[in-house]
Amino acid sequence: MNAVASSLSDATLNAIKALLGDEQVLLDKASLEHYGRDWTTAYDPAPAAILLPRTIAEVQAVVQLANREGLALVPSGGRTGLSGGAVATNAELVVALDKINHIDNFNALDRTVDCGAGVITEQLQNYAREQGLLYPVDFASSGSSQIGGNIATNAGGIQVIRYGMTRDWVAGLKVVTGTGELLDLNCGLMKNNAGYDLRQLFIGAEGTLGIIVEATMKLTRPPKDLNVLVLGVQEFAAIMQVLEVFQQKIDLTAFEFFSEKALQKVVERCELPRPFESATEYYALLEFETLTEGTLDEVMALFEHCVEQGWVIDGVISQSETQARNLWRLREDISETISHWTPYKNDISTRVSKIPEFLIEVEQVVSEHYPDFEIIWFGHIGDGNVHLNILKPETLDREEFLRQCSRVSQWVFEIVQRYGGSISAEHGVGLLKKDYLGYSRSEAEIAYMKAIKAVFDPNNIMNPGKIF
Amino acid sequence: MKILVAVKRVADANVKVRAKADGSAADLANVKMAINPFCEIAVEEAVRLKEKGVATEVVVVSMGDKACQEQIRTALALGADRGIHVETDVDLQPLAIAKMLKAIVDKESSELIILGKQSIDGDNNQTGQMLAALAGIPQGTFASEVVIEDGKAAVTREIDGGLQTISLSLPAVVTTDLRLNEPRYASLPNIMKAKRKPLDVVSPADLGVDPAPGVTTLKVEAPAERQAGIIVESVEELVDKLKNEAKVI
Ligand SMILES: Cc1cc2nc3c(=O)[nH]c(=O)nc-3n(C[C@H](O)[C@H](O)[C@H](O)COP(=O)(O)OP(=O)(O)OC[C@H]3O[C@@H](n4cnc5c(N)ncnc54)[C@H](O)[C@@H]3O)c2cc1C
Repeated sequence: MNAVASSLSDATLNAIKALLGDEQVLLDKASLEHYGRDWTTAYDPAPAAILLPRTIAEVQAVVQLANREGLALVPSGGRTGLSGGAVATNAELVVALDKINHIDNFNALDRTVDCGAGVITEQLQNYAREQGLLYPVDFASSGSSQIGGNIATNAGGIQVIRYGMTRDWVAGLKVVTGTGELLDLNCGLMKNNAGYDLRQLFIGAEGTLGIIVEATMKLTRPPKDLNVLVLGVQEFAAIMQVLEVFQQKIDLTAFEFFSEKALQKVVERCELPRPFESATEYYALLEFETLTEGTLDEVMALFEHCVEQGWVIDGVISQSETQARNLWRLREDISETISHWTPYKNDISTRVSKIPEFLIEVEQVVSEHYPDFEIIWFGHIGDGNVHLNILKPETLDREEFLRQCSRVSQWVFEIVQRYGGSISAEHGVGLLKKDYLGYSRSEAEIAYMKAIKAVFDPNNIMNPGKIF
Repeated sequence: MKILVAVKRVADANVKVRAKADGSAADLANVKMAINPFCEIAVEEAVRLKEKGVATEVVVVSMGDKACQEQIRTALALGADRGIHVETDVDLQPLAIAKMLKAIVDKESSELIILGKQSIDGDNNQTGQMLAALAGIPQGTFASEVVIEDGKAAVTREIDGGLQTISLSLPAVVTTDLRLNEPRYASLPNIMKAKRKPLDVVSPADLGVDPAPGVTTLKVEAPAERQAGIIVESVEELVDKLKNEAKVI
């Protein structure tokens, strides 16, 4: 199964060039480094060559050749991945989809559009806006990530509570499997119960089953008049009570949280005003659509209720788009702000209802062993997804900090396992978390995953060594 | 000291406003509206003067259709004490607004009137100046600092290439510039309290003013689209294009 050539013979290289043309094959050092890594920095890129196919037929030809010659392929999108899924460390051929980037066949009635895998996420968002519609999957890297990469990682983002993950927006998928065969899956249908929905297998497969070459993406009505609320709470559990009562009455488009420690750092470094004078342990950020005039009254009534119950201490609501943006920055600028302290990061989830206990347990185990560690929490709390960040103490050198953090990972994943949570909520497994997959998936599950891979990729040429 | 603040309801600064198809006006249907940013700064300044004990009462006024009451409520939530809404569907222009403000200043005996230097929709930069002239009182425009001391207002003004500080005897008109302060958010408890603050509704006729416009808008059009950029292959090509196409070198 593991027949991977370590470097390319002249004959192989010539065969690839004959398929794609000289210009679509990059071998220079800068390109190998550039295309050989994603957003992670822990791995040294060492691909054999970078291939830039321009058509679906060329992708098929490349996969067929790789099968004949026993060459490993790494599909590559915008390389904004955070788990090393698109990293090539082992003389693989990187197949970059950049040039398959057409957007066409928009249908206003179906509200769908066909995208080449290489379309940048933001291009699709802009295209949708021009049609008076919305492509709602959005996150900080959407200016660089590609639709193919989004589908391969089933990307989430800041409005999952309302719009779901990328999976929910894929109406049809064209993939080239590990054998080089082209499958046209689901063809844009809303309803299709004729047998297994193979499309779903390729979504989130991180390029291990085949190469996504084209997708039919759904679009939707843009939201009307979004407003942002920031609420201050003292007890973490109160955030969940706030979520419960608001969700009963209001169509939330986002429900995020961050801690006072996170807020202090952002306010200081980004020179933003605090939302209100009172400092509270945690903050919830809610975004909602103001469909009727009644919505705002309802929100006020809910706020009053939360204050009466003692859950919420103080709160603000955006009075303009500018204020809404500034309030969002309190949450969205955290990642960049704390990068100054080279933090340890982990993206984990449990069921929403279990989050408060989960958080306390993680915090306890970390502060017990490493009282000097400063923990910064934030995340998509409405989805049960938290981002754990630990800042490196100034006095500790980087190596030692990383060593101590790998112990933290162990403890955190043990707690995740006990809570039946996920070791990777949004960012996939790639190389980064493959050693920990067993904390979230049973042996039997992993064995089935491997068996499925063997069906679509019998020669193990598709992104080998990723996920498991 | 009693302060009067004027606020205007305008299209949100972050909204991309389009011209109506017939070119008669900006298309504001379904557009998010907000307090004019300069007026927001005016409210903040008045509230700070009250918090410092300099002002005794902050009255906020807005003119226009019923929807303006939203912006008055926001100003009340920010800390103003009561509101006046001059309700009219007429397209209001600076002169009419200044006349109505003058009537309110007389009635309220306001000692300091704070306005935005201009509204981001009309961009007229006239109302404060006209009000000062009609009321026959001093004005400090484009303020970046306001200090009230010994019955006078020291106003630092942002002028071309520097700052100018002037002293005004009260009553006086002050118009705000961007750097005067950073407005706070309206807190939810204050928004609720604001619902119970008094808001009087009057008509232009009550103020003895005919608000009919003196200026007619002939045409509104969007600025010309910027052309897409191009990527040149070489320095030579760049120089050539700068020389022969753009003709800048
Ligand atoms: C600042 C920042 C913020 C982020 N925020 C979020 C967030 O909120 N939510 C979230 O979910 N993610 C987030 N991410 C992670 C990342 O942006 C997403 O995982 C994104 O979907 C990756 O897309 P990409 O095109 O960059 O994929 P890449 O990094 O290029 O690849 C990701 C994986 O998909 C495979 N792949 C790529 N293209 C194809 C294809 N055509 N066919 C088959 N396999 C393919 C690769 O082999 C790899 O395994 C963030 C990243 C950054 C840097």
